[in-house]
This record gives sequence, C-alpha cells and structure tokens, in this order.
Amino acid sequence: MKTGVSIFTTAFVALGASWLSLVYAPFQQLGGAKQTIVLQSTDIYPLQRTGEATLGAQVYRANGCAACHSQQVRQRDVATEITLTDLGVHKPVDFADFVKSLSELPELALYKNSLNANLKDWNGGLPKTLWRGTDKDIAAEMADRLKSVGVKSETRIVATGVDIARGWGSRQSVAADYLYDTPVQLGSLRAGPDLANIGVRAPDVNWQLQHLYAPRSLVKNSTMPAFRYLFTVQKIGAQPAPEALVLPKEFEPADGFEVVPTAEAKELAAYLVSLKSNVPLYEAPFTPIIPTK
Amino acid sequence: MSCENSSCSASNGEPTATRSAAPMWIIVAALVILFVGGYYFDQHSGWFDPKVYAPYASGEKLSAYQPQSGEAAALAKGKAVYESVCGICHGSDGLGKPGQAPALAGSEWVVAKGFNRLAHIPLAGVNGPIQVAGKDWNMAMAAMGAALPDDSLAAVLTYIRGSWGNKASAVSADDIKKIRASMGGASVPCSCDQLKAMPE
Repeated sequence: MKTGVSIFTTAFVALGASWLSLVYAPFQQLGGAKQTIVLQSTDIYPLQRTGEATLGAQVYRANGCAACHSQQVRQRDVATEITLTDLGVHKPVDFADFVKSLSELPELALYKNSLNANLKDWNGGLPKTLWRGTDKDIAAEMADRLKSVGVKSETRIVATGVDIARGWGSRQSVAADYLYDTPVQLGSLRAGPDLANIGVRAPDVNWQLQHLYAPRSLVKNSTMPAFRYLFTVQKIGAQPAPEALVLPKEFEPADGFEVVPTAEAKELAAYLVSLKSNVPLYEAPFTPIIPTK
Repeated sequence: MSCENSSCSASNGEPTATRSAAPMWIIVAALVILFVGGYYFDQHSGWFDPKVYAPYASGEKLSAYQPQSGEAAALAKGKAVYESVCGICHGSDGLGKPGQAPALAGSEWVVAKGFNRLAHIPLAGVNGPIQVAGKDWNMAMAAMGAALPDDSLAAVLTYIRGSWGNKASAVSADDIKKIRASMGGASVPCSCDQLKAMPE
C-alpha cells in the first residue's frame, strides 16, 4: 500500500483538528470558569446549591425532566429603552409636539414612525416608554435632548427575544449559569416551558410539590404527567402530617388519607426553586427593574 | 500484451492513481472562501472571548453596554464631546496641532488648581498672545463651549483635566452654571491678561 502514510496522516490531521476545536479549544475557553460578580453589586454569582437542591438535580435527571423542559433562555438582541418619568413643566400634548419636531431632525428621522406610534394614544400617564431601539448612541442623544428641556427620563438596557417576551428570563443564559450543574441539563425539546428561571416565577416549594403531584390542580391545561410516585398516600394518623399537601377537593385522596412528599419530591422541589438566572452579569448586561416599595 | 505507455492504461490493465495539479479555479475559490470566512470570523466571533456571546459581536461592543458609574459615564461623555468639538484642533491625543491650537496635555491652564480661568476659555473665547506650556501663541479661539449644555461642558473639562497624564479635580455642572452666571452673558473673548486677573 503506497498511500498508507498519506492516508494515516490525513486521518490523523482530520481527527486531531476536530479534537482541537471540539475538546481542547472549549476547554481553554471555559474550563477555568469561576464564580463572577453580579453587575453593579458585590454579590457573587452563581452560589453553590444547598445539599438538598444538589440531590434534586439528580432526581430531575432520573425522571427525564430535561426531555420536555429546556433550561436555556435565548436572546435575539439588546435594546435601549427610554422611559419618561417626569415631564417637568411640560404638558403631554406640548410634549408630543416637541417629540414630533425632534423626529424631523435628520439624525432621528429614521425613528420618526416609531416615536409617533408610541405617542399616538398616550393619555399622559407616567412612566411612559418613549422609545426602544438597538442604537445606543441615538438613545443617548434623545436622552440628552429630553434633559435639555427639563424632562426626566430613564435609559434602560433590555434584552429582547421571544423567550424574554414569554417571561422566561430577563437575559440569555450564559456559561456561568451552569457552573454547579453536573451534568448540565440543557434540554432540547420544549413540550413544557423553559425552567431556567422557574425559581423566580414559582419560588414557593409547596406550589412546586403540589404541581408535581397534580399539575392540573394549578395549571388547568397542563400536559405534564403527574409524578404521583414521588409522593406517599397514607392513612392520617393521630394527627395529620405537617408536610401533607393541601389539595383542591377534586384532587384529594380518599377520606382519611393524606398525600406526603417523599424525600425525592422535596429534593426535586428544592432544586426547582434554586433555578434562578435573572441577575445581570458582565457577559449578559441589562438594567434590572428595582421594585419600588 | 503489456502496456508500457500510460495513455492506454484507461482501456486495459490495472487503473492507477496518479498525482495531478489541482485546477487553478479551485485554489482561487478556496482562498476566496477562506478570506470571506476569516473576515466574518474577525467581525463576529469576539475572538473566543468566553465573556462574549451573541448578539454582542466583540468585547468592545459588549463593554459599551455595561452600566457605567457616575464618574465613568461623565468621562465617556466628556470624551465624546471633546472629540466632536475640541479634538479637531487640539488633537484627540491632547497634544495640540502646530499653527492651530496649543497642547492641553500638561498645559498649566488646564491643570490649574481651580478651573475658573479654564472655564472662561471655552465660554468666552481667547484672543491675543498667550503662553502655554512654555510656548508662545498668538491666535484666537472662538467661544466653542458657549452653546454646550452645562453638563456637557463640565464633562469635557473633567475629561481634559483627567486625561493624557493630567491629574486635576473634576468639574461639576453646577460649577459651570455659577461661572456662566458670573459672566452675565458676556461673550467678548478674553485676553491673557484678563484671564490672569481672574481668580483661579
């Protein structure tokens, strides 16, 4: 075989190149990932899960939750949003006219339609989102012009995309979110909703337990199977068990019985409420909404 | 019948693999694809930075979206104003341009303890002979800053007082407001002597 050496070399180079790019390069890139700091704070992210929640990740794995649920929020783009907070001495009608005159400026002409559409049916209520767009410099210029006429506005950075519009997260998922996941259970099918932020949407452990036992008692049209084998139906003893589920009438067991979660169910619920990736990070910045009291 | 001539090997005898040069168009096409791919990679990959994800095409674009603290935001704004208003003559490196404008880096007018004299220069303009960093100048500067809002002017003065090795205190929008009020709307360019007569 005259060509043996060249076949071997070619195969070696092909396999070696894929090893370099699929194994070695990603390891160089992310292998040394560490905890980071939440933007504009000193909080560390992500935190190691509690022991119970760490065990729950294995229950999640054993029950094949990742077959129907993803844990990955996708983001399409990043936008800058200007929200009016105080009009100062201006009246909403005058102000709308002012914005109309602004939109005649050559550098803002592109945004004329969106500005006018946003102000069309405005009744003067504040805060009011004046503009949202991907051009940061235009946003800064608008904010400057608003400031110069005594109108107060807030400029926010927001992530955009279908998952974010569905309320599944405030930003896209990044590698740091999975730092303590072994294995990472990204999931690829979305028969159910994305769970990357389920701990933000449903932070109540009792809600999670009831939802695992009887999904349709909480979400009417849910297609999720009921995980009844994670619970024990037992006779009520001298006193009802403190951790027994409080269920609506049609989901209650027979009279004299109660539903008690097993250790696995509690671990799984603890894991689910630990799934939170809603903090701004350097690699996924956004302006968090600080709840007003 | 033996076939010693390679031209007949196709019709009878064992076929053999021979080396032949790749056609030129394949090489050219491969190079074009490589170039386009390389260009796209350079523009969109963020160069394998683990912090850069789509939709951010590069580390620079990502850092532009980082929320800035008050001081950093003022400096960034000052830089933007400087480059559009002042930098054309004074240079984006602050070294000035011969025959156009003196240097701001290391200028005693810029890094003075107080900024009252400095603020008068963009607000009213300068005219006549003036010495800057040991060099004599005799030119006129228009009141380039008179039309700027207080906070933009404060940001640009803060920027020139804190860049290119200059280390002087920051200027706030309120300071500019006071100085503007003290000028009483005068916009006659100052001479060097007039500036020197002012408090620092």
